[in-house]
Order: sequence, then C-alpha cells, then structure tokens
Amino acid sequence: MILALAQWIQATVFFRDLRESWYVYPVVMSTHLLGIALFGGMVLLTNLRLLGLAMTGRSVSDVIGQFRVAKRVGLILIATCGILMLGSKAEEYYYNILVKVKLTLLLLMFVHGWYFRRSVYYNTEEIDRAPRIPTRAKVAASLSLLIWTGIACAGRGIGYIDPPLSKLHAQLWPAPANSTVTPK
Amino acid sequence: MFIENPLNQSPWSFPILECIHIVGFAFSVGTIAIVDFRLLGLGMRHQSPPQLLEDTWIWSLVGIVVMIFSGLLLFSSDPDMYAPNPAFNFKMVVLALAILFNYTIRRKTASAEVMPPYAKIVGGTSLALWGAVVFGGIFIAFVNAALYVR
Repeated sequence: MILALAQWIQATVFFRDLRESWYVYPVVMSTHLLGIALFGGMVLLTNLRLLGLAMTGRSVSDVIGQFRVAKRVGLILIATCGILMLGSKAEEYYYNILVKVKLTLLLLMFVHGWYFRRSVYYNTEEIDRAPRIPTRAKVAASLSLLIWTGIACAGRGIGYIDPPLSKLHAQLWPAPANSTVTPK
Repeated sequence: MFIENPLNQSPWSFPILECIHIVGFAFSVGTIAIVDFRLLGLGMRHQSPPQLLEDTWIWSLVGIVVMIFSGLLLFSSDPDMYAPNPAFNFKMVVLALAILFNYTIRRKTASAEVMPPYAKIVGGTSLALWGAVVFGGIFIAFVNAALYVR
C-alpha cells in the first residue's frame, strides 16, 4: 500500500516536473543542506551548552530560549525540502534502507524531544539554578547530538544506495549508465 | 595515474568523508550564521555581537579546519573531475571570498562595541557568501552529470 502511494505521489505532475528538471532538484537539495548548516549550528550550540562546553558565559535559559523559534523555522525549512526530495523519487526511496533508517531516527528524535521536554528543554530555569548541570540534561544533549549526527549521515548516504532499476517506473535523471529501463 | 589513491579502495570512504565534511560545515556555517543573524538584528538579541563572536569563534574555526581537510581529501579522490567543473570552481572562489571576508570585515564589524550602521550589510553578505559555497558544493555532482556523463 505504501508502495502504491509512493508511485502515485511521484507520478503527480508536480513531482514529475521536479524530478525531471536538472536544476530544481539540486536547488532543493542545497536549500536542505543550508538549512542543516543553520539548524545544525543551533542544535550544536544548544547541546554543547547543556554539556557545559560552549557559551558557558550565558545561561541555559538564554541559549535555549533564544534559539527556540529559529530552530523551529529551520526545521520546517529542512523538512519541506526533504519532503520535496522524497516525493520526487518516492518509489526509489521506498526501497532505500537509509531512507528508512533516517525516518526511524527522526521519529526517535521526536520521542527524545517529547521525553526530555519537561525535565530539560522547558526546565531551563531550574537547570540554571542547579549548582552543576544535571546528568539528565547531559544525557539528553549527548543523545540529541548522536541522533542528529546519525540523521545527517544517513541522509548523506541515501544517494549511495543503488536504486533497484528493474522495479522502478520513473525515468531517473540523469539515466544511470547501466539503465535498461525506458520511461513508461 | 601512477599511484592509486587509498581513498578510492573502499566505496565507503567517500560518503564517510562527506559526513565529516557536513558536520564540519554545521559547526562553521552554523555558528557563523548565528553572529550574522545577530548583525541583521534577527535573534539572540540578549547578547551583543562581540559576546556572540566570543562564544562562537572557536567552533567556527574548528568547523572550517575540519571542512577544509575533509574537502581536500574529497578533492583528492577525483581531481580530474573537480578541476574543470564550473560548480567546483565557483565554490572555490566564493569559499576564498567567504573566509577572507569572515576574518577581515566581518570580524571587525562584529567586534565593534557599538554596532555600525552597515552591520546588516555585513551580516547579509556573510550569509550570502556561505550560502553560495553550499550551493556550489551541491551543484558539483549535478553539473558533472549534466555536462559530462551524457
């Protein structure tokens, strides 16, 4: 069923045009990556602050509070570009193991955010009052860094998995050298 | 070619290096952008630009170093492909400009106790230069495919 949905999505005019243009896909990809740089920088600084490694002269409340909105904007930008890329080659990505790894890790990140929400990310004033940064906050920060790095690396690896050409219905651009599939 | 590059022995070395490259630019471009956004008057307004620069400069530098070294290794995997590639050449030019700008005009502007009136232009220019570097990098493979593969 998911496969049928993936095939339907990529067959829509919008995603077909996106896939077949030589420059739209890389522009979306570049924007995705630029978003990662901006968002990644804020995630890094937030977590390094919780670990006591960066911005130690500023309070945790100050760092987390001031990044909160910007991080959401960044995440929406990255996710939008990600969805555009996923949709344009939905069938190919359906078979891609690293897409599945990445989506699982993203889900895990949402669980992480939800789990540590009350005790860490919305509890910054108490963390500032504590004589030292609580272990719980450090665990949250380490896990966040680990999972986000995993997401970035899985994402980078997606393009290195060879598509199962015999199963695909969309013409890939540029056509792989060993392609025997003709557009349907 | 007389000596085989050991990086080309394993199909995984290139993607792993790319991951390191990306983490490097999340450190560098990510932390540089925080100061740039502050110069533009967007975000982190509880801190002054000099305070933010003090917080981030070391992470930016670490990121730039990681990015350059992993980038050199990536380049070494296939110099014949990169050297004539227009996207690669564009990237190298804007990268040189971005680094030069970063450690001259931008540092001076962000270190000023009172934000100069042109701070927004400096922040915007820095963001645009680093953005162009990222775009150039992504386009290398696509330009290569468009120009040479077919």
